[in-house]
Amino acid sequence: MSLLEVRDLNVWFSLPGGGELHAVQGVSFDLGPGERFGLVGESGCGKTTSILAMMGLLPPNASVSGEVRLAGTDILAGGEDSVRPHRWTDLAMVFQGAMNALNPVRNVIGQIAEPIMLHGSVSMAAEGGGASMAAEGGGASMAAGGGGAGRGGRGSAAAARKRAGELLELVGIPAAAGARFPHEFSGGMRQRAAIAMALACEPKVLLADEPTTALDVMVQAQITDLLVRLCEEFGLALVLVTHDLPVVAQVCQRAAVMYAGEIVETGTTDSLFHSTRHPYTRLLFAATPDLYADDDVMSIPGAPPRLDEPVTGCPFLPRCDSVVDRCATERPLLRVVASANGAGEAGEAVHAAACHRDDAGGTP
Amino acid sequence: MTSEGNLLDVADLRTRYPVRRSIADRLARRPRQWVRAVDGVSFSLRRGEMVALVGESGCGKTSTAQTILRMVEATSGTITVDGQNITTLSQRRLRPLRRGIQMVYQDPYESLDPRFRVRQTVEEPLLVHGIGTSKSEREELISSALERAGLAPAALYLNRYAHELSGGQRQRVAIAAALALDPVLLLADEPVSMLDVSVRAGVLSLLDGLRRDGRLGVLMITHDLSTAAHFADRIAVMYLGRIVEYGPARQVVSDPRHPYTKALLSVVPNRDPRVRNAAQILSGETPNPVAIPAGCRFRPRCPIAEDRCADIDPALGPPGSGGSGSGGTLASRVGRAGQYGQASQAGHAGVADVASYPDHEVACLLA
Repeated sequence: MSLLEVRDLNVWFSLPGGGELHAVQGVSFDLGPGERFGLVGESGCGKTTSILAMMGLLPPNASVSGEVRLAGTDILAGGEDSVRPHRWTDLAMVFQGAMNALNPVRNVIGQIAEPIMLHGSVSMAAEGGGASMAAEGGGASMAAGGGGAGRGGRGSAAAARKRAGELLELVGIPAAAGARFPHEFSGGMRQRAAIAMALACEPKVLLADEPTTALDVMVQAQITDLLVRLCEEFGLALVLVTHDLPVVAQVCQRAAVMYAGEIVETGTTDSLFHSTRHPYTRLLFAATPDLYADDDVMSIPGAPPRLDEPVTGCPFLPRCDSVVDRCATERPLLRVVASANGAGEAGEAVHAAACHRDDAGGTP
Repeated sequence: MTSEGNLLDVADLRTRYPVRRSIADRLARRPRQWVRAVDGVSFSLRRGEMVALVGESGCGKTSTAQTILRMVEATSGTITVDGQNITTLSQRRLRPLRRGIQMVYQDPYESLDPRFRVRQTVEEPLLVHGIGTSKSEREELISSALERAGLAPAALYLNRYAHELSGGQRQRVAIAAALALDPVLLLADEPVSMLDVSVRAGVLSLLDGLRRDGRLGVLMITHDLSTAAHFADRIAVMYLGRIVEYGPARQVVSDPRHPYTKALLSVVPNRDPRVRNAAQILSGETPNPVAIPAGCRFRPRCPIAEDRCADIDPALGPPGSGGSGSGGTLASRVGRAGQYGQASQAGHAGVADVASYPDHEVACLLA
């Protein structure tokens, strides 16, 4: 059984003028401990809405169907009451732009300590086992081995601050720097602090929404490096939401490409790149400049369809370069595709695409 | 590197901003401190050419562009546009020339006035510069600018508001507003970083096509080396207010000489998961430009620094010349030390073939 199973997740937003917008359409994926999964696509394709739905954090005008099973239990079944015990403790999120949402008038460590006090979680999971994170500052370690970080229980401010200091060290910021204010931190440090906050309650799954987007390439590398190490050393599972294909290619083992609210192709990052099956995936790669490739960078003409109207046929049809007759009438469903590494093999690394053609992944 | 026929020549440009002093500082007569945002930048740009200025945030890319635009005043150095030195021109005499230098900003969600229709956005610069006497004349200029920016037929867009446009279309409107004045020089500050991947290539190709027409030159500021490698003719890598490597785009990418450029290139993620770069992640971020390190400014983060790097501030020079040394005369005589091999990670052992890289310059004693 996977750590996290998302099954047929759908999200509708009711619109002010009546009508509904079907933002997420039957999204399903699995995630094992320590696994890194990418969710990629253009803005408005439903990436962020999907993970907000998993956190139970959508606004009141949203309705959700489907299952989000954590170790077999559907946490969406009972509405807010059933999500709350898992939010932050099992499933945590780094919001898009979280690094810019820190409270400017409080020091960083205080902001991290506050939720720890509220959730009464001041011990680190045993899985850390005192493993030492060779964070780049050197010497940062997960002081959880003895659990001596003070099981102060709910409300112990000193213990919470101590724990917050450990979290900062974990993400590569000296604990002493926590006394500083957000404006004294660089962008990369603020993003690290935002990640530390999400880790406060020792989640098993981290949902990270564009965690590297507004960062410089060097800082981006520092942050992706940190995320990978957190997964490898603590078995944290990661869902990385981004529009940046190269980041997913380097960070994640598997990924799903979303278009117009649905997953149009999913598989290992290797199969997505080397045996691309969906024209959208191929065009996305072609739109991404690569440092060493000489191929022309091409934009994808047109725009995604409106999601407040039902789509007949393939939603990608108007922008597709590999159309066949069926595309206009029949919506392609995600199906397991024959690939070099075992067609339709059951298991985690299934390669599936929602395209009528079997050969649309190659050059048209 | 000033030469005839360049559209833009920037020579030893310096721009500094004062750091605010507290009353206590003043009473104690502590000297005023300066942020040396642009600290000796020289480069040139020809008509029909695109030069990319790359580097981390805070390295002075945007300050360089703002200084060229005269939005901030240079402390020293010269800016020559189309043969005319504009560094110290009065604002009144600058204005007719300013028409020829236009800027495209990073975020078209912020840079367009939400209460303006597309027509007004593109018309405003014409009104400011008093171009087009009649409304119909301006209308024609607006339409041709929009179509030049890839928004054709213009009639389809004229009456729309910014919120009725997609991100790519917005950026095209911003570009059209710049093109309305028929500039010779376009400064584009991260023109696609706020746009969706699927439309980035379109906007970049637009800029590429504009300069290939030969009417204008483009200075593109970006932190994305892949974009720079694909679209620019030359790349200037900036670090702490100084260009540390400068050369033909493909050459800088395939044969980087400065350790900073090498590190930057090594962390660019590859879209092929099978290709794992030996990422050389530098710790920390660009240091404080108030206190630029003595000697080579990259030394505190440099993986191959030697003792002498603390003493000599290397200037741009052909690779292998050991930098010409802006600080001391010693530097110009320092050759390649031959101790480079161990620390270097790229495969270009052996003596640099200077002759084949006439335009490739690097500011490093060890390159």
